Amino acid sequence: MGGRVTAVCCTFLLVLLADGASAQQKIGDPPEASNMRLVGTSDLQARSAYQPTIHHQGDKWIAYIGHHGGTDDIPDPVNPMTDKAEPNGTSIVDVTDPAHPKYLRHIPGQEGKYESGGAQMVRICDGKDLPKGDRNAVYMLRTFGSEAHEIWNVADPANPVLVTRIGGLKDTHKNFWECETGIAFLVSGAPDWRTRRMTQIYDLSDPAQPKKIRDFGLPGQEPGATGAVPTELHGPISTGPKGNRVYFGYGTDKGGFLQIVDRDKLLNGPKEPTPDNLKFPEIARMPLSAMNGAHTVFPMPDMPIAEFAHDKDGKSRDIVMIVDEAIQNECGEARQMVWFADVTTEARPMLISSYTVPEASGSFCERGGRFGSHSSNESMAPVYYKKLAFIAFFNAGVRALDIRDPYHPREVGYFIPAITAATDKRCVTIDGKDRCKVAIQTNNVETDERGYIYAVDRANTGLHVLELTGAARAVAGLP
Amino acid sequence: MRSWPVIAVMFLALGGLSAVAGYEMAPPRAAQWREIAWPFPRDGWPASRAFRCGAAECGTEVEVYLRPKFGFCNCDSGVGDDDEVDRVSDVDMISPRFVPRKTGDVVDVADMRGRIRAYDIEMPGGKRTAIGIAASHRCDLMAVAAQGGGDAAQVQRATLKFLESREMKTWMTAAMEGR
Repeated sequence: MGGRVTAVCCTFLLVLLADGASAQQKIGDPPEASNMRLVGTSDLQARSAYQPTIHHQGDKWIAYIGHHGGTDDIPDPVNPMTDKAEPNGTSIVDVTDPAHPKYLRHIPGQEGKYESGGAQMVRICDGKDLPKGDRNAVYMLRTFGSEAHEIWNVADPANPVLVTRIGGLKDTHKNFWECETGIAFLVSGAPDWRTRRMTQIYDLSDPAQPKKIRDFGLPGQEPGATGAVPTELHGPISTGPKGNRVYFGYGTDKGGFLQIVDRDKLLNGPKEPTPDNLKFPEIARMPLSAMNGAHTVFPMPDMPIAEFAHDKDGKSRDIVMIVDEAIQNECGEARQMVWFADVTTEARPMLISSYTVPEASGSFCERGGRFGSHSSNESMAPVYYKKLAFIAFFNAGVRALDIRDPYHPREVGYFIPAITAATDKRCVTIDGKDRCKVAIQTNNVETDERGYIYAVDRANTGLHVLELTGAARAVAGLP
Repeated sequence: MRSWPVIAVMFLALGGLSAVAGYEMAPPRAAQWREIAWPFPRDGWPASRAFRCGAAECGTEVEVYLRPKFGFCNCDSGVGDDDEVDRVSDVDMISPRFVPRKTGDVVDVADMRGRIRAYDIEMPGGKRTAIGIAASHRCDLMAVAAQGGGDAAQVQRATLKFLESREMKTWMTAAMEGR
């Protein structure tokens, strides 16, 4: 009898261990995919990657990729093009042939590890689109670690030239730049504000001559305020003068909310950072649960909803997709996921649906690293806009969602890249000691007008260029 | 039959682990402090531990609220300034209307470096004193808020003395490891 009890216990233990082990990726394992296919890769010099922006530049397609700082093991990876150790900054990659990305240049960023260094954020505007730009220039706006924003001329992407720098900050993050006006919403930490991240609005229509318009944030964050400090900004997206709205996402994985702001009042209203003036351009706020943040708030105004086609009112809706960011390894927090808000009646925005990867579909809490959403593609190119959204989901890779009916978003594809020897470990503390696993950490994703999907990895695995296949491709109407 | 020694060892190991866990979760032995229910509604972080000390024992009635906040701190620079204490120390749970009395100070709590700051807070029953502490370990934070009716120095002294107790240091260390 005792033998049988032991045998059952051991078998149960073995099954548990085997299940946990099978969830983990191993070097040499193939990628996991459904309706998505790997087209090409770049190792990005094994640098932890954040924001990719893909730009059609003359007859070339160039990927500009921001990086987090280095790791404890390798603070400054060696750039094989210079044979020098360089703090992580910005990678510039020619992806004209997506099957064979060509690494052109690494521009070093701020010295520092993980979130403290690097140059995470990149936006691009052509000089010919900016009201006062050099018509021959292509401008790259990037963050420089936590201390500055920089603009480079990348007309020759292999030989960028620094144009200007806005420094003296205590943090930076996910900027937005309107190319048709030059107005930039810079996520900054102004030294005298009570928060790490708020908005500094600049006129960058002439990138060589930045003009500050105002500081903006939430009442309570401004200099001299007392009492509770509202949660910090993650990033804004503007719909420009025509849409006249700026959507701000606050919070990362906690206490998040969407703020809808009247762009004209924001730019032209009273600018002194008093509580009344900060509140003046606000149209509405929509809080999420205190357990979720708002990392990316992606507007999709005037979406026709097929289900409502015969309704007398409300046939089309203004939708904002809200993506939280998971920040803890191995599910050490509430699930961070994707939410859809109907903001048609702006004063009363309402959450209408959500999406998450089913954890059990890949035992993702056991794989190592973060599991949960982080960000979406932000391209508004017609190929995917209002049809498909791509979500970076850390160890669950990239997920393709059919969002044509945002009341019922539906996953139509996914791609979980294989790990490589460069993939960095992710650790949790167990009984005072680090226990580490290696897993893909798809961090951010972007698309181009051709329909290619660019996923980058936070754990140093590089860039994965993907394309849709099968039913997912049909949703986009791609041949 | 040979399995019985294995089972006995497992029981002993489990018993040992339970004893350790029980010790870590035990309320502080200092008689003047007693654990109370977490008095705040659920927010972004799970509820944690709250304690009260009576006026007879601490000179003034003091309540202390502690909880770890994982991934909520700059991994390299730790708690950078007083603004960060204002933001993260949970004083806003006691009242969203608080005014710092003066610049904060550096403090060590359970071998973690951080900052401490005293506030005047507005409560329905009148003004009170609050103490906010934020101390970090790697990317994680221990947030401590305290309130009392006495002067700030008295509340701060009682709070720090409580946090220095062996039981609380042991608990904070364990809590920061996710135990």
